[in-house]
Amino acid sequence: MRYLKTSEAAALLNVSPNTLRAWERRFGFPKPQRSPGKHRLFTHGEVAALRDALQEGLSISSAISRAREGLAADANSLVGALASYDRERADAAIEAALALRSVERSVEEVLLPTLDEISRRYSVESAAWAFAAHWATDWLRRAIRLTPPPVREVSLVVGDASRDELDRDAPYIRALELFCVRAGIKVLSLSARGVAGIGDAANVHRPNLVVVAGSHLDDDTVARWAYAIRLAVGAMPLAIYRRGAERPRTRGTGTTVLPTGAGDAQRTLLDLLESDHVATTPSASAAAAGARVQLRSASRSSQ
Amino acid sequence: MNARPALRLVTPAELEPVVPSVAFCSHCGTRPSAPSKHTTPGSRVCGECGLGLILEAGEDIAPRAGDAFLVLDRVLSVCAVSRGAERLLATSEPDAVNRHVSELLMPADAEEKRGESLSVAVAWAARGDGGTRTATVRPANTFGIRLTARIAGCGPPQAALLVLE
Repeated sequence: MRYLKTSEAAALLNVSPNTLRAWERRFGFPKPQRSPGKHRLFTHGEVAALRDALQEGLSISSAISRAREGLAADANSLVGALASYDRERADAAIEAALALRSVERSVEEVLLPTLDEISRRYSVESAAWAFAAHWATDWLRRAIRLTPPPVREVSLVVGDASRDELDRDAPYIRALELFCVRAGIKVLSLSARGVAGIGDAANVHRPNLVVVAGSHLDDDTVARWAYAIRLAVGAMPLAIYRRGAERPRTRGTGTTVLPTGAGDAQRTLLDLLESDHVATTPSASAAAAGARVQLRSASRSSQ
Repeated sequence: MNARPALRLVTPAELEPVVPSVAFCSHCGTRPSAPSKHTTPGSRVCGECGLGLILEAGEDIAPRAGDAFLVLDRVLSVCAVSRGAERLLATSEPDAVNRHVSELLMPADAEEKRGESLSVAVAWAARGDGGTRTATVRPANTFGIRLTARIAGCGPPQAALLVLE
């Protein structure tokens, strides 16, 4: 995936950087990502598609509409490939999407909408859905494995409360895990069904935050799982993801309900993890306590 | 030695007086006379507002800055809405683009005997047939308002320009 800075994208489109920012405000396209330094990063594919559309356009709006249609064609071709049980064509379609977009946007704009379309068109009990869900889960897991090791000092445990990979929420949970891993967060994904040995896992991973994701398991099962984590590593923030809007909530528990979109949920998690509240992690507290002891002993020896 | 009468091929230029073309922005209607400091050389994007593309139309119909006008294709889909038309029709260009013109304007031909029907005029103009036509229209879902629309070709690419007065 090739990214362009604002000046590079503006040069490719033959406009000024201010014009490009005005288009982003008015039309929401091209939609940049942000670098760690909060600078705009445009995907080359989007900018190139817009440049071609501008050549034949009658207005900026119509050119953007045409560019968007071209990009949406990837989702249509993926729907077609999965509906005809053609794994190779599906791989080619997602590769084509990746040529124009980042991994995150390919997942959010092509893969997940494709799955939604297949579930809507054929239902989640259909063979088409089974094939599509299996292919998507496989692709997302492969993408997680291929992601470089985490760079941040933060980690989270995901309690997977979905039924299995045929659960409608499962691809969204895998997508959230992928986005978090790609953001440099250490992610440990466990089934929220079992609590045996959960303390060992939590002690090794030392999470800063716990996410309960999926709506298949009932609240009692999930609560038992969350309590087992809490017993092992102490109290920590809890976020819930795609637990179902109709489920009654206890107010004032401090639980964060994440947005249903995987990208929005990841951004909310990043904000949570980077907030001061979460900064005092068990591992960080222990390290800080150790540092304080060392400082005290050093000051005593100097006296 | 009288020349015998004979048929000869007549070009459109001989039939209609040539109207010089002028450039204008598809959003603000500004006519770029000289490159401004905002204009990027070789760019079709308006250097003044940055939100429209530079099109050409005959000088007799080309809009001026602030005019209300639409650009339509041959299937009567909206391709551009000027800033003035956004105010007049209470819409925004991103919302209006790709919608059928009848969602924004309705013909009001019942009162206007001389004017051609809106759809025919737009279709002819978008095909590149010369000349300016007029039609009487009203905003969709709004009664009691009548506007005169002057319709002619513009481009590139070839399209119909509908200027509201």
